[in-house]
Order: sequence, then structure tokens, then C-alpha cells
Amino acid sequence: MFAYVVKRLLSGVVVLFLISMSVFLLFWYGPSEPAQTICDNDTSNRCTPARLEVFRENLGFNNAWYEEYGTFMKGVVAGREIQFGSTTKFQCDAPCLGYSYRTKAPVFEEMKTRMPATFSVAIGGAFLYLALGIPIGVAAARRRGTLADKALVSSFLVISSIPYYLFALLTWLFLTISWEIPLFAETGYFPITENPAKWFSGMLLAWLALGAFGCTQYTRYARGSMVEVLNEDYIRTAKSKGLTSNSVVYRHGLRAALVPVITIFGIEFGTLLAGTIFTERIFDIDGIGLWALQAVSQRDLPVVSATALFGAAVLIISNIVVDVVYSILDPRVRLS
Amino acid sequence: MSAPATGPETLGSLSDEAEVTDPNSKQGKEIAGKSPMQIAFARLRKDKIAVVCAIVVLFFILVAIFADLIAKAFGVSLDTVSACEVLECNFAEPGVGYPKTGPPFHEFDPEHPFGIAPRTGADNLAHWIYGCRTSLIIAGAATLFASVVGIVVGLVAGFAGGVVDRILSFIIDFFLTIPFLLAALTIAPIIIDRFGTSDSYETVQIASLIGILSLFGWMTVARLIRGEVLSLREREFIHAARVLGMPTRRILFRELLPNLTAPIVISISLMLPAFVAAEAGLAFLGIGVTGSASWGQTIANAVPYWSNYPLYLWEPLIGVVALVLALNLLGDAVRDAFDPKTRR
Repeated sequence: MFAYVVKRLLSGVVVLFLISMSVFLLFWYGPSEPAQTICDNDTSNRCTPARLEVFRENLGFNNAWYEEYGTFMKGVVAGREIQFGSTTKFQCDAPCLGYSYRTKAPVFEEMKTRMPATFSVAIGGAFLYLALGIPIGVAAARRRGTLADKALVSSFLVISSIPYYLFALLTWLFLTISWEIPLFAETGYFPITENPAKWFSGMLLAWLALGAFGCTQYTRYARGSMVEVLNEDYIRTAKSKGLTSNSVVYRHGLRAALVPVITIFGIEFGTLLAGTIFTERIFDIDGIGLWALQAVSQRDLPVVSATALFGAAVLIISNIVVDVVYSILDPRVRLS
Repeated sequence: MSAPATGPETLGSLSDEAEVTDPNSKQGKEIAGKSPMQIAFARLRKDKIAVVCAIVVLFFILVAIFADLIAKAFGVSLDTVSACEVLECNFAEPGVGYPKTGPPFHEFDPEHPFGIAPRTGADNLAHWIYGCRTSLIIAGAATLFASVVGIVVGLVAGFAGGVVDRILSFIIDFFLTIPFLLAALTIAPIIIDRFGTSDSYETVQIASLIGILSLFGWMTVARLIRGEVLSLREREFIHAARVLGMPTRRILFRELLPNLTAPIVISISLMLPAFVAAEAGLAFLGIGVTGSASWGQTIANAVPYWSNYPLYLWEPLIGVVALVLALNLLGDAVRDAFDPKTRR
């Protein structure tokens, strides 16, 4: 078990290393003039070739890419000094992901201020996935074949076939703009430490949209998994022992049925943490996704690459966690 | 998930639904050997939802193909007009910035059946028709590339095994750990930066979108095909082909590939709606198609006008939803049709 975790962590580090190198190379060779954005920003669009050359020198674009990649990686591990212009120097502490071209603040520090918003969205939405999806799915599985089950399955199939962002957009347009429901009047992120009630009401609509859409999938998974489990021999045994129907379904059936659902959930939760771009854009939540989107339009390359790296890291970690948790939940799985 | 292979090498499945064979065929009520494709197709035609969805999809495909003709027939075009010709620019009047004719404040205008976009004065119908074309071109081409790459990688990985399989599997896993949206966000500014001013901007943008979607869409097919090949590889007919001295390429494409029709058709039919949705989604975020007409872009433009001019938003939105929904339901029907477990 321990050896397996170490092995997975190592391969995760390798993958992350490869991704960081790809992103770095993409930004090294991709833009026709990588220093243009920061030069424009710094000189309020009066960038002269001489100024540009200074920035090229500062940002290391005159060196070989592997040298600069080394500097970048050293910065991630140990921190480094970054120079903008001829005089201004910044100390960037580890883990240094560079400085934002636009705000001239360390990217990692800015990222930290935006993480709570994204995490709030992801945790609340994911909670609703399970809290709505599993009970509905179990109920449908118990009434398998009835009219109610069929109606539920087909209506959920239709909902989950609509692109998520349109579902969320319509939710926001109707509830906030058209019907002006006061509870949903002000969506957005307000720090929980300052005003928990405002934080809750700001997040509520985003959670509901995310949860209502996502739970359709989990209903399907939970229903399918439960139907399969209820056909198992040991369920028949439990029934013939004379246990109550509830006890058979929840104590004997649900435990086994949940294992595959939890696995899918784990991976998807990782995807949510990596950035809820559409949700943040539509409900105007100032998280990592919206930050990345703004950085793209302002060509703030260090920020864009940092968010991509962050997303990949979160996904890798969540995959490892899912595999380990899976082996704990299902004793038949042996990690090797 | 997918049908076990009942390919040319098995005896072909005995039909238990002889009455659904094509009435025009001469086989009549004889028991006929049918390929899995034929069985699936016969079942699809009996599925009412599938037929309706296929008609909807066909409608969008026809709109996309004959976009020029349809636009001409309605007398609309993408040409930009000077905004004040069609929009209310007189600041004394109410409703500044909204169209002079047609919705939202005036009667229906036959010259612009879908109305006029506020602020730009563009014709909504023309944008809708060409948006449909953009959407289907990008989704169709991306599906084609992604499935070809996925099939080839899956075939090679599954059949070669050993080191090749491990390397290819690592590449598949590597791409699966990259979050798609963030990757698209990362690549988009670079493309805009490179080609932002050139004349071929529009084409480059569409090509790059196809590239991005294909780049992050092939892995699921590859994994699926690899799994299927792993089990097919050990079957007798493949051993026989090897013993006969058949070249590997022939085994791959003449023996294995026909047995993979079901998973390939299923994954293609589920990939298309995903790509249509992704294209519109990226355009909605402003990192997709910006140079030419796109439904997602129109949706993003229409959001601020929602309270006064909901029609402006509904038109592209219904386009995306109808197309994606029909494609998705059709894909589900295709999957059911190929799956012997759901035989009704």
C-alpha cells in the first residue's frame, strides 16, 4: 500500500514536470513577442524597441529556453528574484510561479486569495451532487420499471444532455434578472470570514445550478449501480433472513453500490477544484477560473500558465486520492 | 458497454427480428445473416426518439450545407451595415441602441425574420445560419480527427503490447490529466497573439479550434479501442490469421477493425454533441470563434440585453440546445441499438 502510494506520487511528479515543461515551451515559442504585453503595460502602450529589449533581457528571453526553465523551476522550489525594467526588482518567494505582468504581484499570492472562492463553489456543488443524486437514484432503483422511474430517468437524461453552461446561464437569467428573487439578487464571492450569511447567499445560486445539473448524472450512476447490486445473491439472502426492506437497501445494498459512484465523484471533484470556469463566469464569482479567463484577455501569460499548472496538479492529486480511497472502500481491490 | 464482436468471423447473429428487415429486400421472412451494423440500424429505425432526433440533426446539417442559399432566399447576409441605419441612434428617442424595426419594440419585420442585433446592427438570421455552419464544421472535423487518431493509437497500443503499449498508455493518461478548459485557455491567447492581425485570422482560428478539440478528444476512443483489441487479440481468428502469415497491417485493418465497428460508431456519436457543446462554450467564454459567426459568441453578446430583448438570446440558445440534445439522444439510441443487453 505504502509502496503503491509512493510510486503513484512519483509518477504524478513526473507527469507534472512534463506538463510544466509543455506549458513553459508553449509560452516560450508560442507568442510572436512574449515581452510585448508587459512592455505595453509598463509604458502605457508607448513601448519602444529599446524598452522592449530591456524587458526581454529581464525576463530571460535572450537566453536559451532550458536555462530559463531551470531558473523557473528553481524559483518554484526555492524562490528567486525577478527584475522588471532597469531598476525595479521583486523578491518572489517559493513557490514562485512568476509575477503577473499586469498587477506586478507574485502569481502564487494572488492565486491564494482566489482559491477560497473556487473551493467554495466546488465543495458546495459537489456536496449537492451526492446529497441529491444518491437518494433520488436509490429511490428510482427501488421502483425500477414503474412509471415514476421511467419519467425520472428520461427527464434527467434530457437535462444532462443540455450543455451545462446554458443550464447555468438560464438559471441565472431567470432567477436573478427576470424574477428578481431577493435571495439570489447578489451572486458572487464574499469571504466567509467576514460575513457568512452573505457568503452563503452569494454562493447559493451557483451551488444550486451546479448541484441540480450534476445530480442528474449521479442519479443515473447511483440508480444503475443500485439496480445491479439489488440483483446480487447476498441481497436475496438478506431479504430471506427477514430483514426490513429499508435495512436491506441501505445497510447491505447501498454500501456496495456506492463504491463505483464515489470513484467517479472523486475524479469529477478534482475537475471542479481545478477550475469552475463557467460557473464563475456566469455567477460572477472571483475565483481561479474567472482569473484565468481575465488573464487570457489581458495576455497575462504567467497567470495563465500558473492556472494551467494548478489545474493539472489538482487533477493528478485527486486521481491518486481516488485510487487509494477506492482500495479502502472495496477490499477486493488490491493495489500493486 | 459495447457489443461482443459478432463480426464476419462468427456465423453472424441469427435474426430474431426478421420482420424488421428492410421490406424492400428480397430476403422476405427468411432467417438472414445480418451484420451488427444492419441489426443496429434496423433497431434504430424502430426507435421513435432516434428517428425524430435524426430528423432534427439532418435539418441542422442541411442548414449548414446550404447556408449561402438559405441566407440569399431570406435576403439576409453577414455584411456589416452602419449601425445607425438599422438601430435607434437618436438619443432623444427611447430604446437607444435597439433596432428601428422588428423585435423587441416593433412589429415583425419580414426583411429580418430573426430580428437585428442591438449595438452592432447585424442580422440575427444570417448569424444563426452561419453559426450553425461554424458549429458543425468544427465539431465534424474535430470528431473525424479525434476518432482517427484514437482508433490508430488504440489499435497499435492494444495489438503491439509490451513497451509500445506502455508508452502509448502513458501518453493517453498524460493527456487525460490535462484539464481541457484550462488547456484551451492556455493555447487560445497564443494563437490570437500569433495570428491576431493577419488576413487569414478566421480560417486559422477555426483550424486551431479543431486542433484543440481533437488534441483533447482522442483519448477516450483510444482507451476504449485498446481495451477491445486486448481481448480480441487472443481470439482464435486472429491467431489463425497470424499463423497464415498475414501481414500485421492487414490483421489490424481487415480483421480487427471490422470487429470494432460498434465501439467506434458509439464513441463517434457521443463525441459529436460534446464537441458542438464545447465549441459553443469556448465561444461563449470569448476564447473560441470570434472572427466569424458562432452561436456561443451571440449568446455571450445577448446576455446584457436579456431583460428587453430575450429573443436575441433565445435564438442561438435554442440552436445549441436542440442540436446538442438531438445528437446526444441519438448517440444514446445508437449505443442501445448496438448493445445486445438492451434488446427489446
